[in-house]
Amino acid sequence: MKQIIRNTKAYYCVECGKCTGSCPVARGNEFFSPRLIVERALSGMKQDIEGDRELWACLTCEACSKKCPSTVKYSEFIRGMRKMAFDSGFTSRCSQGGLLHSIQRIHSIKDLVQDRLDWAKDLKTSKKGEVLYFTGCLPYFENLFSAFVSPIEIAKSTVKILNFAGIVPAILQNERCCGHDLLWTGDSETFQKLARLNTEMIKESGASRVVTSCPECLRTLKLDYADLLESTGIEIMHISELISSLMKNNGIKFNRSGIMTYHDPCRLGRHLGIYDAPRDVIKSMGELVEMGNHMAESSCCGVSAWATCESMSKQMQVNRLIEAKSTGSDTLITSCPKCLIHLKCAVHNQIPVEKEKVDIRIEDLAVAAGKALAGD
Amino acid sequence: MTNIGIYICHCGTNIAGMIDVEELARKAAKLKDVSVVKDYRYLCSDPGQDLIKEDIRSMDLDRVVVAACSPRMHESTYRKVLSEAGINPFLLEIANIREQASWVHSEKEKTTEKAFDLVRIAVAKVKKDESLESLPADVIQRVLVIGAGIAGIQTSLDIANIGYEVVLVEKEQSIGGRMSQLGKTFPTLDCSACILTPRMVEVSTNPKIRLHTYSEVEEISGFIGNFHAKIRKKSRGLNPDLCTGCGECTARCPTKVPGEYDEGMGKRKAIYTLFPQAVPNVPVIDRANCVYITKGKCGICKKVCPAGAIDYELGDEIVEEEVGAVVVASGFDPFDPTSKEELGYGRYKNVITGLQLERLLHTAGPTKGEVIRPSDGAVPKRIAFVQCVGSRDEHANKYCSRVCCMHAIKNALLIKEHHPDAEIFIYYIDIRAFGKGYEEFYKRTQEHGIKFMRGRVAEIFEENNGNVVVRADDTLLGMVMENEVDMAVLSVGMVPRSDSAKIQKLLGIATGSDGFFMEAHAKLRPVETLVDGVFLAGTAQGPKDIPDTVAQAKGAASSALGVISHKVLELSPLISEVDERLCRGCGDCKDICEYGAIELITLDSRNAARINPALCKGCGACTVACCNGSIKLRNFTDTATFAMLEAVLGGEA
Amino acid sequence: MTEFDPRIIAFCCNWCSYVGADLAGTSRLQYPHNVRIIRTMCSGQVFPSYILKALELGADGVMIAGCHIGDCHYVSGNKKAEERFRMLLGIMKTLGLDARRIRLEWISASEGVKFANTIKEFAREIKELGPRNGGKE
Ligand SMILES: Cc1cc2nc3c(=O)[nH]c(=O)nc-3n(C[C@H](O)[C@H](O)[C@H](O)COP(=O)(O)OP(=O)(O)OC[C@H]3O[C@@H](n4cnc5c(N)ncnc54)[C@H](O)[C@@H]3O)c2cc1C
Ligand code: SF4
Ligand code: SF4
Ligand code: FES
Repeated sequence: MKQIIRNTKAYYCVECGKCTGSCPVARGNEFFSPRLIVERALSGMKQDIEGDRELWACLTCEACSKKCPSTVKYSEFIRGMRKMAFDSGFTSRCSQGGLLHSIQRIHSIKDLVQDRLDWAKDLKTSKKGEVLYFTGCLPYFENLFSAFVSPIEIAKSTVKILNFAGIVPAILQNERCCGHDLLWTGDSETFQKLARLNTEMIKESGASRVVTSCPECLRTLKLDYADLLESTGIEIMHISELISSLMKNNGIKFNRSGIMTYHDPCRLGRHLGIYDAPRDVIKSMGELVEMGNHMAESSCCGVSAWATCESMSKQMQVNRLIEAKSTGSDTLITSCPKCLIHLKCAVHNQIPVEKEKVDIRIEDLAVAAGKALAGD
Repeated sequence: MTNIGIYICHCGTNIAGMIDVEELARKAAKLKDVSVVKDYRYLCSDPGQDLIKEDIRSMDLDRVVVAACSPRMHESTYRKVLSEAGINPFLLEIANIREQASWVHSEKEKTTEKAFDLVRIAVAKVKKDESLESLPADVIQRVLVIGAGIAGIQTSLDIANIGYEVVLVEKEQSIGGRMSQLGKTFPTLDCSACILTPRMVEVSTNPKIRLHTYSEVEEISGFIGNFHAKIRKKSRGLNPDLCTGCGECTARCPTKVPGEYDEGMGKRKAIYTLFPQAVPNVPVIDRANCVYITKGKCGICKKVCPAGAIDYELGDEIVEEEVGAVVVASGFDPFDPTSKEELGYGRYKNVITGLQLERLLHTAGPTKGEVIRPSDGAVPKRIAFVQCVGSRDEHANKYCSRVCCMHAIKNALLIKEHHPDAEIFIYYIDIRAFGKGYEEFYKRTQEHGIKFMRGRVAEIFEENNGNVVVRADDTLLGMVMENEVDMAVLSVGMVPRSDSAKIQKLLGIATGSDGFFMEAHAKLRPVETLVDGVFLAGTAQGPKDIPDTVAQAKGAASSALGVISHKVLELSPLISEVDERLCRGCGDCKDICEYGAIELITLDSRNAARINPALCKGCGACTVACCNGSIKLRNFTDTATFAMLEAVLGGEA
Repeated sequence: MTEFDPRIIAFCCNWCSYVGADLAGTSRLQYPHNVRIIRTMCSGQVFPSYILKALELGADGVMIAGCHIGDCHYVSGNKKAEERFRMLLGIMKTLGLDARRIRLEWISASEGVKFANTIKEFAREIKELGPRNGGKE
């Protein structure tokens, strides 16, 4: 625990409470206080932290880290605390009864031979290539959530755009989960296995660039695989960055229509600082109207790592949709498959406000761009 | 700290013969948190039970695993052991090493290994078990009976005679139901009124029965043991407490309209009782036809009433009743044959229904028991009965209505007895004489020369003289026959009450594909519904004759008594509960619950699900439907399951 | 090399299949020892994640057993199980795991023979498929 405190600079904490004050979870959940967790860690209350269910409530959205006057790396601190708890046998409460976490752990079986590329049948892809498209868990999301959203469309649209620009991306038949969710819920052992399997395959593919749809994959590959990929010089980028560069360099254009607003995913925005690329793409597709909370001030979609979904998550989602709707836009664009699923989930059945207040189309950036390709 | 005791039963040689009990005990003793492992020849015997009790007390055990026979055999025995020794009975798990191991395998080593796995699973589970207390709920010791046909009457009398209170609600102005419309009943030919009227009087005089006639239940809330009903007592246009039932008003009323009770075969007044023996014997003003109410003229009844009971302005009254159980006995409607156009009902005067004929045959009916045909009042000499009208018919009702065969046969016989020269034809496809004494009764009619024609009537058309021609394929002769008769009687089947959807919604009970209320199990629970504390009696549940109706009514009475004879009901604690803080208020759980046990409540600015412990059956369907694990089924949680899986697959406990 | 001895988990509903398994016992029907039964209240109470969790932890086959359609003690829990099972089959396909490793069976309280036979057949099939970790399916 001391090690974690040192690595995340938690000992700098001046107990000012800025974090708890800016935490979206603490606003709806009186039992959760980022400050108190740090304080307990500093006073060595290991067991107390491990057994606390609020340890898993943090969204690691970094709303606090951005404001902390002592620059404590809060989300990494939480990640460390969770690993510690996990190693002592505590686990988070997971959505879908932990179904996705099981899938992710099954991915760590070395000899697994998946059948996950059905969606790419009518598109141009290859086994090896300059550009590798890292699909992430989209095929599984499709298995699970097709009742109210079609996540696989994101993969299809992404490859469609790449093909349009003359790129035949490599896709991996045996791509594993990047390990983000397990890493952030304390299971770093399985994460390591997944990371090793993936880096091997990425290296084998001969790619010099890896594109992801999912900001969580992006963050994980970029930061948490750093040790493993370091020497390769492989560039990791988000699809929004690639499209934006295709617009500039390859003259890709979009048909313009409608008014859109944009939800910054935490991993893409606060974690990695990517704010402009998705906005460039949106502005070329139509008019962009910002919500009050945007860029570094953006609010989180309410859930991370398929854990910690609770009443407060739904409140955050509903509030976000109200905010989006009130911009007068007809579409809310996001660039994270999970944000998409969470925001759509929030309105799939009963909602605590009038339907008109949240009645806005929610679409992934790549899907919207795929539809708007000019000359397609 | 958890302190688990494990007890392994030899069950004589039943277990010990195929499982190395010593080895099992040795392995089990090494499991984490296990303080003691013992084995015994017959654990369920008194000394066996005492052994566990003593250990619990002397070693402060807080959880127990018994490795023995199926929990279906002795789970309750051991739960009691725990209770008696002072720990919560739900902190027990049973490893079923007899039915699932020693009795089904024959390699001792492997079987012992499996038994150890079963013990590990049980240990993992027992650690996650929580203490549970069954919830006591006070029971309102009173029953609501909806509908006062013979079914509702019988149920009410049975309950009242045992000494419990009944609230009996009848929509019509008198009790009696369809049976009161019948003349003589098959197979014994006793007159319906003669056997029914005494029961009706009994109802009105029994102090335990509170009768609300001309009333309907408008709202019911609550659950088994605690229902709250709102009942609308419709205005009769007079004060029933003052009315003496002298009948002066009806006699003097100048307005005559076709009588529904007579199925349109006779006329009634605008202030009227259904029949002379009505209970209560208090008339009702038909507001739609009363000249005073519609036009402001007349007012004769008010003038002639010696009791001064008439009050045209009297409004409806709402009464509220608290009950512990509900019996639905709302009966049936006759099938309306107008939709079977080929049979001409409604177009040809001399095509009538069985129930209309019944009114004609009734000595207190519009013709005082004389069968005459509607077109000219002549006595029909040739009569055709058309069976299965609206029954056993994919275009109407698929089911058999069960009474129409016997009913036609009975009426054929009655007519034949009056007019031995009458010619009677019964068009049938099968004669179903299933009841006690029915086949014998059927034989008798055959002896009287009634002609049975096997073939479904294809069409009926009218001749100028009012006679009707019945065309059918006589399937026994293989010839299409046209048969001119004076009158045709359609044996219409039974259908659910036209307003049964209202009752269904009110109580949350289900209807089957035939539209009748559905019982909980077709064979074994014919009286219960899926809503605890709500029972069915009579034709509300499906077509029946009187004996079956009465039998079911008595069943419903005893089932309702089974609920309300207790002062307090123990509700099972093995139900689901919502963590309201986690709940997203999406309502997926509410949608999936078969028992309507879940409602969405508003908390601050959000919704949350709440489970009514009296309605929840503990099936767990909602726990799976909930995307984020906000609901758990007590002691059947996902964490417990994962712990069990880990114990057996991960090799830990 | 020792013979492959499959590990099979069976979730049996309290009102039908668990009783069917008991009946197999009281009738002394012999079946392979590989199966470990976990009692559930209803097949509709089984989370899809239980099946994947079992596979994750190394089970070679998993079965959900409930009452026949129309006979569920809770009206329609088994229909819900059926729907969820379809979703599981989709996940199994994507994972590249053989669909024969998971089973949904309706076994009534009177079907001791069916219970024993189902386990026999399942164990034989899983033996043919080999261990779950064997890959290459
Ligand atoms: C033409 C014909 C002849 C028959 N002849 C014979 C025979 O000879 N022998 C024999 O054994 N059987 C015979 N039967 C069958 C017999 O009529 C029935 O078995 C019996 O009447 C059923 O009684 P019940 O109480 O279930 O229904 P019903 O008699 O229909 O009684 C239901 C009562 O509930 C009331 N009600 C309905 N809805 C509400 C509500 N929402 N709120 C309050 N009250 C309500 C109704 O007004 C009615 O009083 C015959 C049936 C028919 C159609
Ligand atoms: S456990 Fe079953 S009965 Fe109880 S609330 Fe949930 S779905 Fe309804
Ligand atoms: S399904 Fe879960 S989250 Fe949705 S209302 Fe029910 S308990 Fe709440
Ligand atoms: S109780 Fe057996 S499947 Fe529902």
